[in-house]
Amino acid sequence: MSNERRGMSEGFEEVEHTADLAIRAYGRDMRELFANAAHGMFALMAEPSQEPACAREVSLEALDYEGLLVDWLNELIYLHEVEGETYSQFTIETLSPTKLKAHVIGGPTRHKTRAIKAATFHDLAIEETPSGLVATIVFDV
Amino acid sequence: MVSKKDMKQVEEYVYEIPQSFRPDMRVPARLYADEELLEAALKDRSIEQLINTATLPGVVKYTLAMPDIHQGYGPPIGGVIPSKTSTGVISPGAVGYDVNCGVRLLRSNILAEEVRPIMDEIVNALFQGVPSGVGRSGDVRLSHRDMNDVLEKGSAWAVSQGYGTKDDLEHTEERGTLAGAEARAVSSKAKKRGQDQLGTLGSGNHFVEVGEVEAIYDQEVAEVFGLFEGQMVVWVHSGSRGLGHQVCTDYVHDLQQAVTKYGIELPDRELVCAPFDSPEGRDYFAAMAGAANYAWANRQVLAHRVRLVMDDVLAGLVKDRGLTLVYDVTHNIAKVEEYPIDGKPTKLVIHRKGATRAFGPGMKDVPADYREVGQPVLIPGDMGTASYVLVGTAKAMEKTFGTSCHGAGRVMSRRAAKEKIQGQELQQELAEKGIVVRGGSWKGLAEEAPAAYKDVDRVVNVVHSTGVARKVARVVPLGVIKG
Repeated sequence: MSNERRGMSEGFEEVEHTADLAIRAYGRDMRELFANAAHGMFALMAEPSQEPACAREVSLEALDYEGLLVDWLNELIYLHEVEGETYSQFTIETLSPTKLKAHVIGGPTRHKTRAIKAATFHDLAIEETPSGLVATIVFDV
Repeated sequence: MVSKKDMKQVEEYVYEIPQSFRPDMRVPARLYADEELLEAALKDRSIEQLINTATLPGVVKYTLAMPDIHQGYGPPIGGVIPSKTSTGVISPGAVGYDVNCGVRLLRSNILAEEVRPIMDEIVNALFQGVPSGVGRSGDVRLSHRDMNDVLEKGSAWAVSQGYGTKDDLEHTEERGTLAGAEARAVSSKAKKRGQDQLGTLGSGNHFVEVGEVEAIYDQEVAEVFGLFEGQMVVWVHSGSRGLGHQVCTDYVHDLQQAVTKYGIELPDRELVCAPFDSPEGRDYFAAMAGAANYAWANRQVLAHRVRLVMDDVLAGLVKDRGLTLVYDVTHNIAKVEEYPIDGKPTKLVIHRKGATRAFGPGMKDVPADYREVGQPVLIPGDMGTASYVLVGTAKAMEKTFGTSCHGAGRVMSRRAAKEKIQGQELQQELAEKGIVVRGGSWKGLAEEAPAAYKDVDRVVNVVHSTGVARKVARVVPLGVIKG
């Protein structure tokens, strides 16, 4: 299977970037794209938590979908670091170009595999393709 | 895509992309590189990122990239952006997420040959005594008041708490306290992330490295810096941890609106900025300076821990260890400095992202005991090759806004490195070369493999040959702990 096909079936894939890390996330719609981007980021950061044991509400405002996507991932980085939790279920409850409300479920972090400093705007564009939405997100590590 | 034919060579190892190359450029962009480094830079988007920096409002003369240039986000790593304080901008993306990531070098009275036989023990003790690794917290928990003091006083706070000496402050860029920091500009989220991370190394490319001064190129300057051949020295490389990352995240978010408000057009959203002389710009500077101070306090505490470990391990072996600070430099920062522009002294915001200040002789910001020769420029290389101590020059003041390179610079992606290199094998290979390495994870170690970096000798040769900084000493690694 090509990388892209595999990425699409899993919802995300890791892509090359000289200094940092990048993922390409896919989604049939915007909500799925946001959820898959979060799955892809946590796949880089930590082993999945075993038991869903905690839930967090995330509420964000930004100028557009790209801004919301960056803020969404950065909010999850923040929660992961200060709460010591790793999330595995992402329910996007409300999503407009400027507002996001989500419910995330996870558990205490078992093993961190990498620190991600932040999700960046670098080269970020949410693109519509015949098979759905695609976004490449570069992380500073 | 940019190609070599779009550049003109203005002097040996200096290439310029003229302002006419792209209509949105306000000034030319310059790259310091030899042929091979230039070819490498042309392979990814580093040069395009450099050109993007030349479009920012208020940039003067030219924007620059050092020979360790590689692709980042926003500006390239190795980038230098000079912008007028009066009409120019300040950009969080042009400082980076690890505000005041930097390096310090401790000298000693110890000979490398005295410690080589016990390097395993030293590395293990450092690994135990210096908290490192992904998201690791330390044993310093900052109260609300302490946090505000750290943000506004930096290293001075750490020394007041018994972490190090006043002499350390004298030998730290900005004396470890960047003026203009205001704790109120740092979000509560950033403070929360920083609460228990002071005195921790972090992960990624951060390290503590025991090295040996292998060669001296400038005896006179080496003596002034207290360096001699065969000497054991220690490098500490870390930054502002989660607090700095959050400050950058917060202001990249907040300044999105400022870009619209002030009608700034950007080729890359990661270059988001605000006029330096605006409420938004002033707030970012106050927060960034706070994060910079946190980073200096962090390296001060880390260096204190290194001293404690060395005191413990070397007690009975070496009496007068004399682990004192040569210097501490930052390589991710924005600072206000004055340079002549069109014949007039002009205040500029100098963004250095993966670039080191390299002030020449006579500058008042260089410590008194080094002022006659210039500032020590510390260039950590990869863990299997070498690092350098250079000295800043008058030429740097004239040509590069007092700036030199900051390291070897990556050449291989982290993904490729971990596919090609096994952490265990790498540790073994380095051990055969006499270098003891311990890391938080095999994967992390593989990503930081020497093969993932450019040739540091080549990078340093460019800055030395152009006269931007002069070689003083080459230091080879003996023992390394990686986060």
